[in-house]
Formats: sequence, C-alpha cells, structure tokens
Amino acid sequence: MALSLRKKRGTGGGPNIPTASMGDIAFLIIIFFMTTSIFARDKGLKIVLPEKGEDTKVPPEMILQVDVNQGGNVLITFTEPVTKAKQVTFIKTIPEVREQVMMRLSQNPQLAISLRVSRGAPYSTMIDVFDQLKLSNAQRISLTPVKGEEGAGGPQ
Amino acid sequence: MKRIAVRRETQSEIPTASTADIAFLLIIFFMVSTVFSTEQGLKVVLPQAESTERILKRRNVTSIWMDKTGRTTVNDNLVNPAVIASVMAEKVIENPEVVVSLQADQDVSYGYVTDVLEALKDARALKVNFATQQKTGGGG
Repeated sequence: MALSLRKKRGTGGGPNIPTASMGDIAFLIIIFFMTTSIFARDKGLKIVLPEKGEDTKVPPEMILQVDVNQGGNVLITFTEPVTKAKQVTFIKTIPEVREQVMMRLSQNPQLAISLRVSRGAPYSTMIDVFDQLKLSNAQRISLTPVKGEEGAGGPQ
Repeated sequence: MKRIAVRRETQSEIPTASTADIAFLLIIFFMVSTVFSTEQGLKVVLPQAESTERILKRRNVTSIWMDKTGRTTVNDNLVNPAVIASVMAEKVIENPEVVVSLQADQDVSYGYVTDVLEALKDARALKVNFATQQKTGGGG
C-alpha cells in the first residue's frame, strides 16, 4: 500500500548536461581572442634598389645632393643649371629638408635626389631625412654610398 | 448554437540551439586559418616616420633583423652580409616578388645598414622596406 502511494519522480530519461550557455561561452572565447590578438603588420618606407652595375650618369645640375655626416648633420647641395655654382644649405631642423626639397622640385620636377649617408651616421637620422624626402613627393630618390667609405668594414 | 472562439496563443521564438555550433565553427575556422609567426627576431626599437606605408602582400615579406650593436639575423640565424646575399638569392629564386623588410634598431650605425643593402643588391632582392612605426603627433 505504501508503495503505491509513493509518487513516481522523473520521466525515466538519463541525466542531461545543460548546454544552453554553451553558445555564450563560445562567443566569450571568440571575443577574448579578438580583443587580445595583435596582428603583425609590416609597415615602413619602401625603396627599390638599383641593380648592380646599373649606374646611370646624371648631370650635376639635375641632382639635389642630400648629405648626412657622422654627427647626423644634414647638408643640401644644389648646382645652379646656368652658372654651375654650388649652393650649400645647412639644415638646422629636419622639417627644413622637406621645405628645401619641395622648393627645388617646384623649380625643376625632374630633379633626382641623391641621399648620401655616412657609415657612422645614426640610422634614425637617415630615416628622418628619407621620410622628409617621401613627404615632399620626390619620385627619384637614390641611396648613394659615401665614396672612400665603401666596404670599410663596419661603421666609422 | 453559439460558437465558442478558441483563443490560440502563438509565441514566436528564435531557435538558439545551434548558436554554440556556429560559434565553435568560427573558433575552429580561425584556429585553422591563423598563421603564427615563428620568427622571434631581435629586440629592436624601430624608428618613427610620418610616411609609413603598409606592405599589402605579407606572404612576399622576408624580414632581416638588426639590433643596435649591428648584429643581424635572418630566420633567427645570426648572419653576416655575405650570408645574407646567399640566403636572399635563394629566396629571390623561390619568389621573385620578395620584399625585404629591414627591421633595424633606430640607434644602429648606418654603416651596418648599407652593408646589408649592398648584399641585397648582390642577391637581386631589390624591393626593400625600412621598417618604421607610424609617427604620431607633429614635430620633427
């Protein structure tokens, strides 16, 4: 009698693992990885080097020479087309490079810019000057090694 | 005879049973398609530049690392300019569109950089990218 009064519990199915929050957990994992991931992006200043032996002779009046010496000082040399006289400008602050180059390019857009950096100069100065040349929209930029320093076996 | 209107309540539900499956599928997709950079490189502080551009095709990029003392590595191997030329020549044969990203420290002397550039010319790896960080704020 007592047995018949006992209420039957359950439906007879097996135990269930609740999976309702599985989606939330998965999306939490996605959001965690999305916010903590750092994507490696390659950024920088592009240049295309000339091939070896592909040196081209350019008349001096068509070149704007930008020199960086060992101390990181910048000098811009321009050859006057008519008188062939050299005009040398000492650069006090790096943004002056852009002003000078833009001024010369406005006079002659075909001007080639030769960036000559001493082996002992800091790389950051070279990048600063090269950045200014890029900002001045110069199309013809070449990196020229300093004569007498080539293959000198390490910075001087 | 009077008709009794049976009121039926309909509840609309968005089925969410498959949300977990979709989410896990997304996780698996990203896990499979992500390529991890295995190259450790050297500890460098990149110079900053305003005209920094992004390289669009990453699969063409090969990095050369150079710390402030001039130590240079390619594929985590310490190399000298002669070795750079031979390693890069092989890479150019494999992929002529290779872009060399020079990850040089801002305090390194330019002499080390110019040696690497000469080695790249020897290897005919002519597309070079001086790795920089985007300069934020004005001033020079």
